[in-house]
Order: sequence, then structure tokens, then C-alpha cells
Amino acid sequence: MSTLLEVSGVSVTFDGFRAINNLSISIGQAELRAVIGPNGAGKTTFMDIITGKTKPDEGRVIWGPRSISLLDLSESQIARQGIGRKFQKPTVFEAQTVRENLAMALKNPRGPFDVLFYRKSRATAARIDEIAEEIGLTEDLPRRAGELSHGQKQWLEIGMLLAQDPQLLLVDEPAAGMTPAEREHTTALLVRAAQTRAVVVVEHDMEFVRRLNCKVTVLHEGSVLAEGSLDHVTKNQDVIDVYLGR
Amino acid sequence: MNRSFIARNPSVLWFLLALSVFTVAVTLMSEVTGVGLISTSFVKTLGKTLCLCLIAIAMDVVWGYCGILSLGHFAFFGLGGYAIGMWLMYARTELIVVESLANAPLPPTETEVTDAIATQIFGVVGSSEFPLIWAFSHSLTLQLLMVVLVPGLLALVFGWLAFRSRVTGVYLSILTQAMTLALSLYLFQNDSGLRGNNGLSGLQNIPGLDAVPQSVISIAFFWASALALGLGYVLFAWIVSGKMGSVIRAIRDNESRVRFLGYHVESYKLFVFTLTAIVAAIAGALYYPQAGIINPAEIAPIASIYLAVWVAIGGRGRLYGAVIGAAFVSLLSSWFTGGSAPAVNLGFYTINWTDWWLVLLGLSFVAVTLFFPKGIGGLFDLIVLKPVADRQGDYGPDKGAWRREEGEP
Repeated sequence: MSTLLEVSGVSVTFDGFRAINNLSISIGQAELRAVIGPNGAGKTTFMDIITGKTKPDEGRVIWGPRSISLLDLSESQIARQGIGRKFQKPTVFEAQTVRENLAMALKNPRGPFDVLFYRKSRATAARIDEIAEEIGLTEDLPRRAGELSHGQKQWLEIGMLLAQDPQLLLVDEPAAGMTPAEREHTTALLVRAAQTRAVVVVEHDMEFVRRLNCKVTVLHEGSVLAEGSLDHVTKNQDVIDVYLGR
Repeated sequence: MNRSFIARNPSVLWFLLALSVFTVAVTLMSEVTGVGLISTSFVKTLGKTLCLCLIAIAMDVVWGYCGILSLGHFAFFGLGGYAIGMWLMYARTELIVVESLANAPLPPTETEVTDAIATQIFGVVGSSEFPLIWAFSHSLTLQLLMVVLVPGLLALVFGWLAFRSRVTGVYLSILTQAMTLALSLYLFQNDSGLRGNNGLSGLQNIPGLDAVPQSVISIAFFWASALALGLGYVLFAWIVSGKMGSVIRAIRDNESRVRFLGYHVESYKLFVFTLTAIVAAIAGALYYPQAGIINPAEIAPIASIYLAVWVAIGGRGRLYGAVIGAAFVSLLSSWFTGGSAPAVNLGFYTINWTDWWLVLLGLSFVAVTLFFPKGIGGLFDLIVLKPVADRQGDYGPDKGAWRREEGEP
């Protein structure tokens, strides 16, 4: 399996607090990966570094077959490279309709003049319908995103990620605040997405991670504590001490 | 879903209809082309108001749609006015000078003419030479180009510097205000080359049209202003209705999320800022020939703050709201400050509206912000839209649910 993203020796310090400490993780081409860890382990900061929100003090982040360094790129350039991110709190554009939200995310040229002279086509409309079907929001396309339930917003955001057609999806706590049925739907969505691209899920909930049935990376104090199957890492004494034992 | 632009934006049609009816009505009531119910000076006031409506929709796009509270758009308006004013002054002075030198025993050389024009224009600030910035003032075409280019370039450079360092919110507002203040202070200087605090005057006299009475010129400018407002409205309605509108409203609501979707937010802001600056400049170029005079006080920060007040009172985020706000407040303002409003005698104190109008305006601004955040334009929602639930997403289904402490989204 070839490597899609390689994070090596990355450290970040915020006001003297070392949020990420010599962290190294690599993600394969079509891989589902769960990242777990206690509060403050650096899970969100890890995503911030990959997506360009936070610049690390040291280390390298290498992306894709052409081995581009992501550290020199801005957030929007990184997104155009094919890295999509879903935030912890659902952040959809509430004042706009579900269709507008998806249309904005759809993979298309992103320059101001491309967008100004953008014309809707049958193909893009079909693609939006397809994604809406996938996330179960076909009925809600003309509704304003602000009217959706919490779980539906989460799906809409996952749908926006799919519309971006990224090679790597970073998903921060997708199941937070969902009902058991909604969780199941979300799991199925992520597993399906991971067949064609890499998906990294940051999650707190062990049950949810178990259902994803994938390789798990445990973070603690900004570096990798253990890596492997869920059963493997839950047997690790260090992991039990810092995380499960608490 | 591929309905026509008008079908998707019925308000454009209604607006154009209302504007045409208004324009024709004013024409039919004016002194020259109609029954004479409206004086020439009031036609000019209405024409100027249309220009203010045009800059107000520009402000609405940059603030109401894109979320950039610019407190400097009147700088661009003023620069547009100065640019056209330079040609108006030059060309008119040239005619006068040539006429007066025609009786001289020897025909005047070109340098003599130019020097005489310069003395005429700059004598008031103790100079008799044309500064470099007047280099194009002899040509209407070039100077019309300057109307668009100078404010456009200023907005482009200023916006590029401000947006790329990710200055947002109130800091950006302060920066724009500092820009317009600096520009106004600079122009107040006599050696700025634009006649200092005297400004440019006599702009209502169009060169070569001395024989045409002001009553006709006022109607011509009124029509030009109405046309510009109509075109500006359609342009902005087109921009904010499509995918572009979707992206810029998204930038207003959550800038960083738009970045993670792969849009270069700074380019979009720069596009909106520059385009609205250019439209503001065109509005200014139509306004000042009707006003007759421009001086640096016109681009003091207070003017741009008024602009924000108009748009807020009219209703942000809808173009016709900005038009209503600008027309309503500026006309009301000239009524109150012009001394037409009857003073209110309270027995122990007499309220003179010329003194108290600003207090009234300030109070109504506060009242609108607190009680009618959608402004006057929001009244249209009462007849058009059904109320929708205003739900906000949160970590859990409700406040009592399990919530997370960690991380900023």
C-alpha cells in the first residue's frame, strides 16, 4: 500500500504548551484510520496541521505521489490538493439551502471568475442528487441548512466532503450527539467512502471505533502511544493507563 | 432549476419597474419637460439621491453580503467625483481663457493658454502650475478612465494588503476609516494639487453647454443617475444571486470553513471590495456634477459612517433595502437639516431640527439595530416569506446533552 500522507517528526508549541510532540503518522492510499486519545492529546491540532490551519514549529508533512510539502501551502491550496475536513461542530452554511451548500463544495474550479461565470449543468445537478441520495437528504435539498436536525447537518457536512471529491477525508468526531440509528448510518457512509479514498476519523467513542473496524492510532500528549487493531491497542498497558483506565 | 435570471430574482423586475415609474414621474413634473411641480434644485437633489442609492447597494454587497464593514467607501465616491471634476474645471476654464485671449493683438501660444488656465484654477492656493496629477485633465476620455482606474487601483492595493494579512472585523473597519481619513487630510493640504480645502467648484457648468439651461442639464443627469442605478442594481443582483453570491455569503458567515472548501477567500474579498469601489466611484462621478462642488470634507470618515447607517436602516443583505435606506434617510436628512422641518416648541425648550436631527438619526439607528435587525426592507418579508425556524447547530441535540469541551471547530 503506497503512502498518501506522511507526517514525520512534527512538533507544535502553544505558549509553552507542547500540543504536538515529535508526531509521526503515515496514511495509505485507501485506508480507514481511527485516531483516538484523551482530551488534550492533540487530535484536533493534528488535523489543524494537515489542513494548514496551524503551522508546526518543526517536522515535515508530505503529501501525495508527487511528495509535495503541505507546510508551504495555504488552507485553500491544501483543500484543492484533495484534503477535505469535517469539523467537530457541524459547520454548514445555515442561511443557505442544502443544494447551495453541496453546489459550493462540488469539485469545480475555485477562482473568483470561474465562480462568477459558473453555469449550472445537468451533470453537476445529477452529481448533487447522487450525493443527496447517499447522505439521505434528497427530500431536503431545497430546505435551508439551518432547519436541519443536528444529525442531518453532520451528514450534510459529510456530503459536502464527498462533493469535494478529496483523496483524504479528515473527520472530527462525526458521531457526536447522534442517535444510535444515525450513528449506524454514519459508520456505513464512512466505510463506503474509505473504499476509494483515505479516511481519518478522530473519535472519542470506543463503540463507534469498534464498528469502523479499522486500524487505530492512539495519541497521548501529542505523540503516538500505540497503533494497530482496536483489540491490540486496548490490550496495551500504556493505553490502559493513560486513557482507558481513567 | 434553469429558470431565467429574472424569474429567480423577481425583486429585480419590481425594482426596475419602480425606478422607471419614478424617473418618468419626476420628468413629467419637472420644469422643462413637465408641468413644473418640481423645481430644478429638487430634481438635482433627487438625482443626487439616486447616486447615493447606487453607492448604498455597493455598500450592501460589500457589507451585507460579504461581511466586510468598510467605513471607507466614500473615499472611492469622492475620488470618482474629483476625477470628473478635474476635467470639468479644466475644460470650462480653458473655454473662458481662450475667449478672453482671443481679443489679444497676438494669438496666444499653447503654453500661454495652459499657464492662464493653471493661474485661473490654482490661483486660489497660490500656485500657477499644473501638478502632475492633472496630466490627463484636458481629455474627457482619459479622465473618465481615471474615474474607474484610480479608485479601483486604490481599492485593489489597499484590499490586497489588508486581506492577505487576514485583517477582519472591527480592525478592518478601522483600517478603512483610517484610509479615508488619511486621504481627506491629504487633500486638505494646498499642495496636494487638488486645491486644498477649496476643492473643485463650478462643476454644474458643463463645458460647451453654457447655452443649455440648468433645468435641462439637471434632467439629463437625473436620467443618467437613474440609468446607472438600474444597471448597477442588475449587475449586483446577478453577482449575488448565483454561485458567486453563495460563496460570498458563505465567507460572511464562516470564512475559515470556506477556506477549507478550497476557495481562496482573499481573492473573493478583493474582487468584491474592488468592484464595489469602482461602482462607488461611478456614483461619485455622477453625483458631483449635480452637487456643483467637491471638497475634501466630502470624504471624511463621517460620510462613510452615514453610508453604513443608511444600509443598516434600509436592511442589510437585500439590495432594495439599501436603496430604500439611502433614499429615505438622505431625503429625510436634507428635509430636517434644510430647515423645512417645523421646530417643536415644548414650552421650556424649542427643538430645532437642524440641531437635533443627528440625535434623532442616532436614536433611530439604535432602535433599528435592536428591534428591526432586518431594517425597513424586512417589512417585505411580512408579505412574501413565511417564518422559518431559526435553529442553530450545537454539539448535542440540546443543551442538556453530552457536550464536548475540547477544540474550536
